[in-house]
Amino acid sequence: MAKIIVITSGKGGVGKTTSTAALGAGLALRGKKTVVIDFDVGLRNLDMVMGCERRVVFDFINVIQGDAKLNQALIKDRRLDNLSILPTSQTRDKDALTREGVEKVIDELRNEFDYILCDSPAGIERGAHLAMYFADEAVVVTNPEVSSVRDSDRVLGLLSSKTRRAEKGEGPVKPHLLLTRYDPDRVARGDMMKVEDILEILSIPLLGIVPESPTVLSASNVGTPVVLNESSNAGMAYADAVSRLMGEQIEMRVLGPERRSLLQRLLWRAV
Amino acid sequence: MTNSQRADVNGHKHRTAVAPFQVRGRFFTAIVLQMTRGPDAEFFQAVDALVAQTPHFFSDAPFVLDLDRTNAIGASIDFIGLTRELRKRKVMLIGVQNGTIEQNRAALTAGLITLPGGYDTPPDANKKREGAPKEDKGPQEPPSGALLVTDPVRSGQRIFADTGDLVVVASVSSGAELIARGNIHVYGRMRGRALAGVNGDSTARIFCQSLEAELIAIAGLYKTSDTIESSFRNQRVQAFLEDGTLRIRSLK
Repeated sequence: MAKIIVITSGKGGVGKTTSTAALGAGLALRGKKTVVIDFDVGLRNLDMVMGCERRVVFDFINVIQGDAKLNQALIKDRRLDNLSILPTSQTRDKDALTREGVEKVIDELRNEFDYILCDSPAGIERGAHLAMYFADEAVVVTNPEVSSVRDSDRVLGLLSSKTRRAEKGEGPVKPHLLLTRYDPDRVARGDMMKVEDILEILSIPLLGIVPESPTVLSASNVGTPVVLNESSNAGMAYADAVSRLMGEQIEMRVLGPERRSLLQRLLWRAV
Repeated sequence: MTNSQRADVNGHKHRTAVAPFQVRGRFFTAIVLQMTRGPDAEFFQAVDALVAQTPHFFSDAPFVLDLDRTNAIGASIDFIGLTRELRKRKVMLIGVQNGTIEQNRAALTAGLITLPGGYDTPPDANKKREGAPKEDKGPQEPPSGALLVTDPVRSGQRIFADTGDLVVVASVSSGAELIARGNIHVYGRMRGRALAGVNGDSTARIFCQSLEAELIAIAGLYKTSDTIESSFRNQRVQAFLEDGTLRIRSLK
């Protein structure tokens, strides 16, 4: 039976989709059969970040409404055999999602995959609610700033009350904190919140700290999950997070932002 | 227009001295008369009979007319005459509910208000309290049970202890709300809002292990984080009412 994990945050722009792509690719790299589902109906992004936007024919909504079979909508990743993507519709909106429809799709995927990652839309409305409803675990993506932390706190409250596990009394959805866009220099200067302060407020276990890094943006733009870039700090941080998600105990390392090499710095000055 | 402007300026000036009024929420019990027919002679006879039965029970009590069963007769009810007739009998009609749009409009013109919702009191609740012995009930549920919360109270969550005290042994995030009829105890960090004694109990208190609250209130009197003295921040404190003001003291 697959483990269902929702990647959520409440706040927009904190890196949910990037993190979904990275964690999904990371799990597939480690040999786990993984599917990532885009719940952000109307704002299709996950397929772009995964680099398969040109291969989308049928989508999640088509499957929910019975217009296509699940296997027709699932896109197999070209780089990783174990990874599949279920893209969403760009022309519909979140009202096209129904609880029964989502349940049917997830039940079907459950038998086939080890991990189902649900990429939640921002906000706490219908799309976000259905993305978290069937989850066993949750990765709460948070930036080190107050509004993101508060929104994450709100989402944690919803996870403990508005999910199937909560409603059926099957125990809580297991939360993980993924800190993204973390810049140790700005934390030292007091511009960003410290890890300890965030953990103190949210009081959930830390899955990883992903440093602010230009490789994240460029990886999204070319459609390659950042975890596939093994030399980047952000890629390493996501790889660590994947290991922890699989239950391994590894030491938390706070990686700084990527430094320019000496040569690059000299050239920078010359420019 | 100049008048209203002047009033605004004056009002603003006065606010710093003595406020012209204080806004409080308060619950009242109203008696609902569910009409089954128009206000004819028979209706008033029935009202007379009711008032004669327990003359003191109804005097000065606010009355609301439920028009649910008289929707068919439309706006033909003379609300002005009805109010006058009922007042003669010391029945103080204040409003109507469940009327049709026309009925509501007619009631509003007659100076009555339209009320939504409301809950019924079980009709036999009073009788039980009056005289019935409790012997066959066994040990009764105590009316004031404390509510214990062991999980963190997250932003946007609201916990309401309507039977008595509220005890939280975890942190309360900013944006979370604790509401209790009795006292509130928080043994984690208190960053949210706490409203104790919401039913008007001015003896209720708030106890915090670490006070970082956005707002604390007892029986409707409140302080926000701006008006809580900074020396109490992150301290073990209690808050209570004394001489009509909300006071905070360290727990040493």
